[in-house]
Amino acid sequence: MGKVSNKSIFSNYQKNEGLFDEVFDENGNVKSVYQKILDIYGARSIKDYVKLNNKAKSSFFNQGITFQVYGDKESQEKIFPFDLFPRIIDPDEWDLIEKGAIQRNLALNEFLWDVYHDKKIIKDNVVPLELLSSSPNYLHQMMGLDPPSRIYNHISGTDIIKHSDGNYYVLEDNIRCPSGVSYVICNRTALKRALFGVFNHYKTHTVTDYAENLLSLLESVKPHGVDVPVCVVITPGMFNSAYYEHSYLAKAMGIELVEGRDLFVENDFVYMKTISGPVRVDVVYRRIDDLFIDPMEFNPDSALGVPGLFAAYKKGNVTLANAPGTGVADDKAIYTYVPDIIKYYLDEEPILKNVHTYHCSRPDDLKYVLDNIHNLVIKPVDEAGGYGISIGNRLTKNEIDEVKNTIKAAPRKYVAQPIMSLSVHPTYIDDTKSFEQRHVDLRTFTVLGKDQQFVLKGGLTRVALKKGNLIVNSSQGGGSKDTWVLKQQ
Amino acid sequence: MLSRVANNLFWMGRYIERAEHVARFMNVNYFSSLDAPNQLSQSRQFVLQSMLFMVGNSINDASVDLDEEQVLYDIALNPEESYSIINSIKNARENANSSRDLISTELYESLNKFYHFVMKYPKEAFVKTNLYDFTINVSEMTAVLRGKIRGTLLHDKVYAVIMMGVNIERAIQINRIINTKFNDAQKAQGGYGDTMANSFEWSTLLKCAESYDMMRRLYKKAPTSTTTLEFLLLNSRCPRSFMNCINQVYNHVKELENKAEHEKHSTAFLVGKVRAEFEFKRIEEITEDVQGCLNGILDKMFKISESMEKEFFGY
Amino acid sequence: MGYDYEIEYVTRNTYEKGLNEAFWQFLIIPENNDTQELISWNFENDLGMVNSVSINGLGFKTVQVRAKEQTDHINFRASFKLSKKEINPYDFPLPESVEHERALLHSHNYRVDHEPFLRKTKLTQLSAKYENLFLFNNKKSIFENLVALNKWVFEKLIFQSGVTDVGTQLSEIIENRHGVCQDFSHLFCAIAKQNGVPSRYVSGYLHQGNGFFGDSQMHAWAESHIPNVGWIGFDPTNNILANHNHIKVSHGKDYNDCAPLKGVVYTLGKNKTQYSVQVKASQQQ
Repeated sequence: MGKVSNKSIFSNYQKNEGLFDEVFDENGNVKSVYQKILDIYGARSIKDYVKLNNKAKSSFFNQGITFQVYGDKESQEKIFPFDLFPRIIDPDEWDLIEKGAIQRNLALNEFLWDVYHDKKIIKDNVVPLELLSSSPNYLHQMMGLDPPSRIYNHISGTDIIKHSDGNYYVLEDNIRCPSGVSYVICNRTALKRALFGVFNHYKTHTVTDYAENLLSLLESVKPHGVDVPVCVVITPGMFNSAYYEHSYLAKAMGIELVEGRDLFVENDFVYMKTISGPVRVDVVYRRIDDLFIDPMEFNPDSALGVPGLFAAYKKGNVTLANAPGTGVADDKAIYTYVPDIIKYYLDEEPILKNVHTYHCSRPDDLKYVLDNIHNLVIKPVDEAGGYGISIGNRLTKNEIDEVKNTIKAAPRKYVAQPIMSLSVHPTYIDDTKSFEQRHVDLRTFTVLGKDQQFVLKGGLTRVALKKGNLIVNSSQGGGSKDTWVLKQQ
Repeated sequence: MLSRVANNLFWMGRYIERAEHVARFMNVNYFSSLDAPNQLSQSRQFVLQSMLFMVGNSINDASVDLDEEQVLYDIALNPEESYSIINSIKNARENANSSRDLISTELYESLNKFYHFVMKYPKEAFVKTNLYDFTINVSEMTAVLRGKIRGTLLHDKVYAVIMMGVNIERAIQINRIINTKFNDAQKAQGGYGDTMANSFEWSTLLKCAESYDMMRRLYKKAPTSTTTLEFLLLNSRCPRSFMNCINQVYNHVKELENKAEHEKHSTAFLVGKVRAEFEFKRIEEITEDVQGCLNGILDKMFKISESMEKEFFGY
Repeated sequence: MGYDYEIEYVTRNTYEKGLNEAFWQFLIIPENNDTQELISWNFENDLGMVNSVSINGLGFKTVQVRAKEQTDHINFRASFKLSKKEINPYDFPLPESVEHERALLHSHNYRVDHEPFLRKTKLTQLSAKYENLFLFNNKKSIFENLVALNKWVFEKLIFQSGVTDVGTQLSEIIENRHGVCQDFSHLFCAIAKQNGVPSRYVSGYLHQGNGFFGDSQMHAWAESHIPNVGWIGFDPTNNILANHNHIKVSHGKDYNDCAPLKGVVYTLGKNKTQYSVQVKASQQQ
């Protein structure tokens, strides 16, 4: 353990040598991009910081940027924990992330087109057939269907980490309905209110242009023959945990936020019910899982969807973004093939690395996993939000046996990865009233439209607030940080 | 605008307005009764009965002994009572939640703060000592909301729908308040030679509608039953009068309908008809049968609200 | 030579508490294929709503009706005129080499191409206990095996309506040995897929002039894919190959892809569905 003693606010900062710290180098010196902000912070006391922190919190609370926690009697509203110390990414590193995210998502888009058409990649034995046939997200209704501009994954969330070797790795692809982008923007707004003085010293890329880019994407994939498309955002409703984001995006784009019951289909055209009668809808940004969008085609019990929507989509009268059936490409079992997928379609080397993954469905891998379980992270292939993850070196002997048995019972359902040491970032911890190292990752947002690609210059840095915890998802008690991407000097 | 969302905005407007009237009614009645000139008007039971009558939960049995703290709690903060202020605010916010993309951040933030204020209000303190503080705060926060509605929303259909909700609810609440005080004035007759026409209750009524000062400025005399009713029902320049409400409803419904001529069964036609009737009504026609007239107005407002639901909110 | 058919599909749905809004989708229109040609259709509903023809996710025509106003029922009637060719189901050569045919069946590309109909679904999944219920004979051609399977299912199950419903699992059907055409077809598909043969559930009408099983309701049978031949229809309920009496509407992985009526109804009370089908035929001159 080394101590960083130069600045008062960080005087008690404990630096663990084994971890990659985003702010301090191995000698305990501040990295150049963080120098200015540390100078400014250093001139303040913890007390000042606490005051600022509370102000920011109440700003979130009053704006209703909250989620519900359901208790015995009353539900409670909570804000997403938010840390005022931003993460800063220098332009060169960002360049790599941006290129890598675009490359990856373009390749996944090609993969989706292929698996819903000729399935060449399967026939060429690059990706095993088993991964398609066992995936509940591989929708036969999408076979042979050509979405406008050939785009499936209009909006993708790519989760990236920095390992202790200083390299970025992709941890996960999210190409169904990735969420979190509204927090990027809210974090920035809150930070600007609290720390406006600091911004003067940095040339930071804006993040508020996301909505503009999203709308321009949605308009670019309009159905054939429509001049000025009517776009809407469809939400499962206000009890959904991401409802705030849905309403934020609709408002920022100036388009309607609809629920399934606001839409109906007649003669394969989609309409919304307005006070002036039915209005035709051309592009739907769906924030409902694909299996719930149309009870005629998918889950028949879905009360969230619109009966007849898929037939209208198939006929080309309405565009859905993301396309239904994208889930087949963000399955954790597919993840391990993404480097091969990139090489296959783009004939390029992957810019962003993958974490090595062991497939329990392969006998060799299964054996390795069972023998080395204490050094691995075990993940179920079809769960999102950090559920069902076991970290080998945190398990007791009994728990290890339990996990081994679950894997053996259904090997296809599990993959394993070496325990990656996510980089750490100084984060203010309420309990100890001081800054401590916490693990962080980064969710980036990529938007693919007709002849346009855009990566939001920022992204959501998620922080595992529990000491030593590696799981950053908000549903598992994670918080977030504003992320500054600096402009090239 | 989506029909469902329009419905929600309409009800957001109604609940905000409802909370305000109930809060002010509690405040004015309770505090003006403390030094009322006759014994009945001073009686706690009488005031509590009046409050319950106003929120539509009247107790007809005079022998029932009402518990003051319970009644105050029920009307203001009891989440189990559908008429309580806390429920109105909850409903207003819930309606706003489902249309957050259409209303301004500023309006939502104010409503949200208001909601948290009411939710966190200490119940014990309220029933013992803080009736004044609570009701005044509710009145003021609703005034802020009205300001945010007017000042931070584009005056388009969204605004028109909210304002229709506000004005229809105001017309209904003013009617309820008049009805309640008319009822009180009838009951309070006879004490100290007080006649119905010059009852102390008319001043209270005007204060409940925040119209006492306006009325004194216009008539320059102590209010009587006739002048009070004339002012609150027919004077279009009084912002709280029924006439003013129906004028506003008419202006806003035109924004929604967007037609040169009203169709016979449209809401705009119905509103216009009611408006025309009251524009050329004399107070003498009303005083002949006050109760009948008040019931008639209430009935018409319900019909207008129903027609709106069908025409604009029914899919 | 061929046959002319007139088909009528009538349904009445009633809703105890009434409904405010509803959407019904009928998957009942005969498809056009090599052996059948739809000449005309006519749809009527007593709600005065539009009957619009659409194409569902799997490529089959549907009729959609949307109720916008309050009602407590819908009466719907569809009639079709169709001509069907005389079919000789045996009109293809048997493979020269059984081994070669089997190799083709198990080849990678073949399995990739037919992935949807090799996939097991809830309704066509054999539990581990029954995986070896019926094993193909490697010395015989696929077609011969399927014919044997057709007969085996026919003999294994006893036709009886009212004991199973559209959600009944295969193991229950195998144990109780009773069922209707859906159950016969699911069992056939499950076993054929278990033996590596792409198979699909077919929904349609059966002309019952010759005393076949099938009720006055819609019928179900199966189609299996044979390398170098194509899709062949098997009707295990009647132990025959699909012929000119089988008028196909749609196919899918199982019943859920082919349900004749799907609806989304906003109501609180119970509902009741009745329907009947009539198929009349006359031989072409």
